[in-house]
Amino acid sequence: MNARSRSPRFLLHVTAALVLAFLMLPILAVVPASFSEARFIRLPPDAYTLDWYGAFLSDRDWRAAFLTSLHVAIAVTVFSVVLGTAAALGLRRVPGHAGAMLLALFVSPLIVPVIVTAVAVYRTALDIHLNSTFLGVVFSHSLIALPFVIVNVGISLRGVSDDWLKAAAGLGAHPLTVFRTVTLPAVMPGVTGGAVFAFITSFDEITISLFITGAQTKTLPVKIWEDIRLEFTPVVAVAATLLIALALLLFLGIALVNRLYGRRAA
Amino acid sequence: MTQAGLSVELRGLSRRYGAVAALAPSDLTINPGEFVTLLGPSGSGKSTLLHLLAGYVDPSSGRVLIGGKDVTTVPARRRNIGMVFQNYALFPHMSVGQNVGYGLRVRGWAKARIVARVEEMLDVVRLSGLAGRRVDTLSGGQQQRVALARALAIEPDLILMDEPLGALDRQLRRDVQLELRRLHEAQRRTTLYVTHDQEEALILSDRVAVMRSGRIEQIGTARQLYDRPASAFVAGFIGESNLLAGRITSARDGHAEIELAGVGGALRAPAANGLSDGDEARLMLRPEHLRLNGTGRLEARVTERVYLGELTALRLALNSGEQLWLRQMAGQAPHPGDTVRVDWSVDAQWIVPCT
Repeated sequence: MNARSRSPRFLLHVTAALVLAFLMLPILAVVPASFSEARFIRLPPDAYTLDWYGAFLSDRDWRAAFLTSLHVAIAVTVFSVVLGTAAALGLRRVPGHAGAMLLALFVSPLIVPVIVTAVAVYRTALDIHLNSTFLGVVFSHSLIALPFVIVNVGISLRGVSDDWLKAAAGLGAHPLTVFRTVTLPAVMPGVTGGAVFAFITSFDEITISLFITGAQTKTLPVKIWEDIRLEFTPVVAVAATLLIALALLLFLGIALVNRLYGRRAA
Repeated sequence: MTQAGLSVELRGLSRRYGAVAALAPSDLTINPGEFVTLLGPSGSGKSTLLHLLAGYVDPSSGRVLIGGKDVTTVPARRRNIGMVFQNYALFPHMSVGQNVGYGLRVRGWAKARIVARVEEMLDVVRLSGLAGRRVDTLSGGQQQRVALARALAIEPDLILMDEPLGALDRQLRRDVQLELRRLHEAQRRTTLYVTHDQEEALILSDRVAVMRSGRIEQIGTARQLYDRPASAFVAGFIGESNLLAGRITSARDGHAEIELAGVGGALRAPAANGLSDGDEARLMLRPEHLRLNGTGRLEARVTERVYLGELTALRLALNSGEQLWLRQMAGQAPHPGDTVRVDWSVDAQWIVPCT
């Protein structure tokens, strides 16, 4: 291979690395910051410590915010996976133009600016007394988590042949049995993918949460937001690092699940 | 296992999609244990009829009777019909054995009984020992046989097959055709088979129903369809045929007199139903019924000679411009450019409506 054909490839790699660095470095900067010994964040840190992790865990407010986020995210995941899977199954049976229009409506929360959704949700929640309540936070997060489930399950459903469903019915299976034994296993990668997206969408949601959460339902991102306006301590970096770690772990999880399914079903 | 099938009867069964009649009101009776094929071009209503019978589609009118019982409103899962799909429709996340045993599992059979039955079915389709295999590790022909085993495992009253060999290559198709015939001989299950391959229909079936534009054009044994087609369409779809254009001058008692437009002159021959005076019609002559003869009725010029091994096919141009194909044993065949006279035996003549 001569230099002429190698140099464009080399340029490509360098450009890709620069873009990646631009995207990742600001985010990853908080990770060393969370291990920094100094009270004020300095990069790179002079010395490393786990003290701030201890501080995070022993602080009642941080712990409460973390647990609230966890509970909300789990509830949002369950709620939007059930609803979103049902919606995707229903949309499959709406033919042609009407189906496409309905799908666009279902995923519109992804397109509408979140701040608009937040204001609308806030106003509506006031009327029905769901402001600052756990249920209110779960419902409003589900609004923007649902489209991820609908889209993910919808993509998986495209791989499901109508003939499988007919074959199963012809062999004597009740529609519920067909769903449990044929449809669901086939769309499982879409369901798990949608679930992870739903979880993460809720776990790091800030815009709507600023409007809808209250003292008893303060989520981790809201707590970070409030703290950072006073002072950027390494404890904030710990919270941010935990968010990143959780997201990373979940995405690795899906990749693993999909690989296992791929090996069994592909 | 003798005579494991039930009779099937369709009475005025039809299906419309908006203004389009996918199947015009149709009647069809299939005897217990009979193998009937629906033959026709795509869009002729074969698959619609099959799906109506299976219960996957609701009819716009008419009744479906299986074993004398009206099942028109019975859902597919309670009809006890084994269906084999063109693309196999095997469940990709299940093993071969789980696929074959699926119908038994949903019927609540005990595990040991299912395992035994699956082995038995795999023996029947000659895939013994493959129960644990993943479906996608099998060849197309093997997958099709798994689909067949899955349909047979539930002891169906009726087997439906929707172009099951469409995705297989020619050689494999022939093997599976013979396999299907052997299975049907052994089990005598009532079978309705859909194909657009006329050769396949003739090899497999007790009777063939030729379909066209959502109607059953004609149903009969292979011989009836070949020798006495009801229309020029059937004559053209089953085997090869020469059709000479003409007009009916008189029709009565199963015979008609046809005035041949291009050839000139009239002749009298047995005729299909539904012809009356003045109708456009066609005189059908099969290529193997034509022969070259010095005193033959028509003069023709040889335009093409095709060597087919034991046979030679000749393309002849009549003075009218109409073309005839003739097949004869290989030997002293004339050459392109030669002028010949063509003749045929009187009982080979058959007049059909030109629709």
